[in-house]
Amino acid sequence: MTEARQFKFQSSLARKLEVPGGRSVGEADRLAREGLETHRLAVMQTVDATLVQLVGLCAEMPADAGKSVYTLASRVIDLVAYFDTGPLHEAAYSLCELSDRMLAADSWQWPSVLVHVQAMKLILTDGCRRSRMSDMLLDCLKELSGKHWEVPDKVGVSQGQR
Amino acid sequence: METRPPATLFCSTDMRMASATDKFNLAQSMVLLIDHNQQSLEVLSSIFHGYGVKEQIKCGSTDDAMRIVQKRNVDLTLVDCSMPGMDGGDFIRWLRHETPAPLRFMPVIMLTGHAAESKVNNSLNCGASFIVTKPLTPAVLLQRILWLGADEREFVESDTYVGPDRRVRNLGPPMAIAGRRAGDLSAHVGDARDVNMNQSDIDMMMMPKRISL
Repeated sequence: MTEARQFKFQSSLARKLEVPGGRSVGEADRLAREGLETHRLAVMQTVDATLVQLVGLCAEMPADAGKSVYTLASRVIDLVAYFDTGPLHEAAYSLCELSDRMLAADSWQWPSVLVHVQAMKLILTDGCRRSRMSDMLLDCLKELSGKHWEVPDKVGVSQGQR
Repeated sequence: METRPPATLFCSTDMRMASATDKFNLAQSMVLLIDHNQQSLEVLSSIFHGYGVKEQIKCGSTDDAMRIVQKRNVDLTLVDCSMPGMDGGDFIRWLRHETPAPLRFMPVIMLTGHAAESKVNNSLNCGASFIVTKPLTPAVLLQRILWLGADEREFVESDTYVGPDRRVRNLGPPMAIAGRRAGDLSAHVGDARDVNMNQSDIDMMMMPKRISL
């Protein structure tokens, strides 16, 4: 094994950041947020459509759909990440976490997925605001996920329905 | 005696958190944005327009990104962790190990939404300059970019790891980020804010003196 080599290096980014001109941090933040807002409506419509897809999957419960559930929940996270959608992001993250672990444990439970999806729909309908309702929903999701990992084999619906 | 200029320009020797009035210049930088979700890509692109970046390359796959970084002079890359096929971590590992200098030293920020358990280890050691977790605001992302511009870390090349030094113990973590170790400094230590001491002052402090008891 060769020895590690350590050295200083100044990137082209560092050099260009120092070029006179540009804009202030405050101005850049304001302009970036303005640009962001132009996407909000379209993003929320996509999130809504994604939740419809998740509801559809929960209704059909197709085999080998676990990966699809994870992908759709990830899509929600990716889309809402830049907007102030705290509870929705948390619920989507919880669904990602749950589906990832259920896939790894080969123990898929559609009811747990459905509860997450319904919670996300309620939060979205409520404007993604942090409220007593959203706090309660998130507490329930946390408890649900916790219970699942305490007794993974006893709560489950049949295996192999992923 | 040296004095520092007024802190209006965020420069590479300045590791503090940039304030709202600090100026920076991304107008001449070329930024590569990699995300398989087209809508996320557009959102990210709008944020970078706000930062003043004029040259942006939007890329939907890491395969395309591999070709682009070898042809264009990209200054900064942002890549989503969960890319189909070659994921963000593997892309950065390829960049760090398989491309020539100075391309391999390029600052790369990896964005993560949900990191699947299987991908966490892969991401940690891929050589990313910074891993930024979602949700994030434009202000936070900009602070991370400016921190990278002022990055004092050494670059490390070894058999198992190529990338910026992962240890920030002596620099302190970036502002608003808690250190990973109990001994980490609570804030970033940058250059001195006050006027430097001159050599004779330092000599006077160091010089042994005879004292009478």
